[in-house]
Amino acid sequence: MAAKSASTLNPETHLLLDQPLLRLPHEVLRKIFKTSQKYVEQDTKKLTDLAKDAISKSDSPEASLATINTMIVRMQGLKRKMETLHEDEKAVHSQSRKRTTHLSDLYSLSSLLEDGYGRWSKVRLDRLLVDYMLRNGYSESAKKLAKEKDIEELVDVDVFLQCWRIEESLRKKSTVECLAWCQDNKNALKKIKSTLEFELRLQQYIELVRARKLAEAVLYARKHLSGNFDSHKDDFHRASCMLAFPPERPGPYKVGTLLHNLEKLKTLIRNFTQDLYAESRWDHLVKTFVATHHNLYNIPQGPLLHVALSAGLSALKTPSCHSTLPSSRSNTASSVTSLCPICSTELNDLAIHVPYGHHTTSWVEHDLVVLPNGRVYGTKRLEDLAGKLGLEAGWVKDPITGEEWDGAEVRKIFIS
Amino acid sequence: MDAVEKELDRLTGKANLSKSINDIDACLELLLAARSTIEAGNYPNEATLSAFIASKVSAVGYYTDITGVFSSDPSSTASTVSMVETQLKAGFDKANDSLKEVYGGLNKYGKALDKKFKTVNMSDYDVLSSHQPLIDRAIAMHLLREGNFDIADTFITEANLAASVPPSLETQFREMYYIREALRDRNLGPAIEWAASRREQLEARGSNLEFELHRLQYVVYLFGGEDGGPLKALEYSRREFVPFQQKYLAEISQLAGALLWQQKMTNSPYAELLNSESSWEAVIDSFTSEFCSLLRLSAESPLYVATTAGAIALPTLLKMTSIMKEKKTEWTSQNELPVEIPLPDKYKFHSIFVCPVSKEQTTDLNPPMMIPCGHVLAKDSLNKLSRSGNRFKCPYCPADSLPKDAREIYL
Repeated sequence: MAAKSASTLNPETHLLLDQPLLRLPHEVLRKIFKTSQKYVEQDTKKLTDLAKDAISKSDSPEASLATINTMIVRMQGLKRKMETLHEDEKAVHSQSRKRTTHLSDLYSLSSLLEDGYGRWSKVRLDRLLVDYMLRNGYSESAKKLAKEKDIEELVDVDVFLQCWRIEESLRKKSTVECLAWCQDNKNALKKIKSTLEFELRLQQYIELVRARKLAEAVLYARKHLSGNFDSHKDDFHRASCMLAFPPERPGPYKVGTLLHNLEKLKTLIRNFTQDLYAESRWDHLVKTFVATHHNLYNIPQGPLLHVALSAGLSALKTPSCHSTLPSSRSNTASSVTSLCPICSTELNDLAIHVPYGHHTTSWVEHDLVVLPNGRVYGTKRLEDLAGKLGLEAGWVKDPITGEEWDGAEVRKIFIS
Repeated sequence: MDAVEKELDRLTGKANLSKSINDIDACLELLLAARSTIEAGNYPNEATLSAFIASKVSAVGYYTDITGVFSSDPSSTASTVSMVETQLKAGFDKANDSLKEVYGGLNKYGKALDKKFKTVNMSDYDVLSSHQPLIDRAIAMHLLREGNFDIADTFITEANLAASVPPSLETQFREMYYIREALRDRNLGPAIEWAASRREQLEARGSNLEFELHRLQYVVYLFGGEDGGPLKALEYSRREFVPFQQKYLAEISQLAGALLWQQKMTNSPYAELLNSESSWEAVIDSFTSEFCSLLRLSAESPLYVATTAGAIALPTLLKMTSIMKEKKTEWTSQNELPVEIPLPDKYKFHSIFVCPVSKEQTTDLNPPMMIPCGHVLAKDSLNKLSRSGNRFKCPYCPADSLPKDAREIYL
């Protein structure tokens, strides 16, 4: 009975891993909508103004006509932009449709043992792999895999590629691309109270200070940072300190009786500004950007492959998987045993880091016997092997160690 | 899924940008009409113009004939432009209303998604984020095993795995796929050659693969039309079956017997030999499994099995996490999961022994022990029961025994 219920497929709970499949396009649609709204809003204002302008010039048909012509050009521009957005929208719609269809396929299955479930799960693995590859910047592999498996509509190559490009530019210490992205998503970022843009601007400032372009740094800070003074007081104080203390040199105070105290003060200030000068601040920016990006697209912060694997490794792992003793059932030594996936080279090292599965009842073969060497096997397994090996009637062979015994030396064992 | 699909229908059907584009188009038509009017020195008749716009805004299609709309009074363009202003405002209002519909549709779709998918903080389940190189290696091996050699090559380059994935692995899996392809094309040659060159290893494992391949070849000849036939089969069996005579005498006699029935096989005792489709599948599976075993790898992709088991386990883990959060403990820091994951039997690979006394799984440090009556306990339980080596009663049967007579067993 237990086995029967364990193989029941409950699609409702089974789709935990598959949310981003629809969440992400939904965010893309919202973004398209927001852009269209912005276009219409801008042009409503502009065209209304122009219309008023036309009225004010209405005693001269020529002037009115000129204004009307300007309006027509503007209107045609708006129409064109909206049509482009509509094309994007349609593409996302059709993509979402394919995805709901893919998810609905799961609802037509009722058992985890059906072939259909195996096929569905293979597609899911391919999706998870592409997601993992994209998040780690293995873009070519991701594109090839998506194409080969014909799942391009089920993965979000473009969104992740854009994300990765910006990540890379930050690693190369350029904030331009990321700032442009912030500009693109200004309202959404404001809504979630993101500090990403401030952090980027601060970094620009730090780089100017590092290069000792102090005047420029001050101008930059006035222009781009001062607006955020209230919410980032501490950063401001530290950032101003940097002006006086370059990253390497100990500072301007070299002589005098105050030396001792000054040294102390300098150390204090060094510590104060140190993390702003730190190279690792760029890594921090990369992390902040990625977190913000995934947040906006409503997708998980880490690859879902990690989640699926963590859970799967634990569910499958047993104390035997990292045992020093060869397991009697999961083994490559004979054709009547097969290796457990956790014991296979691919996952064995990885599984060291997860807890093993919990079991409340024993799970063993029928009609267990113990051989004189202490190894325990199901009777049928031993008989199968003896048959395949063509052993003398009544004799058995240990599939793992290769030792052979007369059946009389084999004894029954009871495990409940 | 139905609710989600219904909301998606709304988006593709109505709540999209096409409506507002029509509205904008109507405004554009209005402007074009106004221009023509002014150029012609006409001014519009208010009633007809309103009707015109109403028709534009509500229906799709382009206006081609504007002469009827405007009455011909050349006195002023003023009324035309003021008309344009009011109607343009109405047109934009309409476009904005259409956009609101899109907004509403997107919100409803979002709500349907919220209802369908509960938000879960998945990062709770990620204990592997610091082991990227190991995951990379597992993926590369998976791609090779699945025969995606081109993708695997790209991946190994991109993930810089040349050191951790030996090139020999690709060569080996390429051989496996070559042989499998041949088998799919009903060509047994490469498989037989492979098996013959590993005869000793295969025999030590108790594998019948080589004989199975020869047997299939014999059957192919037996029914094999032009280049086959009973004679060819007989000749083949004489040549190839010799090394297997002793071990597979029964099978070989059966095959020899089948020669006589070749013409009316379906009524013969050998009818099952005819079912060649399934025997091809069986041979391919058996070959794959033997091939992987000789590489000391599992037959099915571990990555596939593990992610599938993970998806099955997640709902249970999720429920558990919410309970554990209240108790402020974390499952990932424990040795053992605190809850049992119901998995179908095919996901169970090892024997599991849970000591009936302590209810704990046995481990290397606390192995299963068999006492003389044939019952099994965990070592720790045994020590507790017997207290310093004294005679104790089996928890299952009336027999009593000494702990020194118990012996470790290997499951």
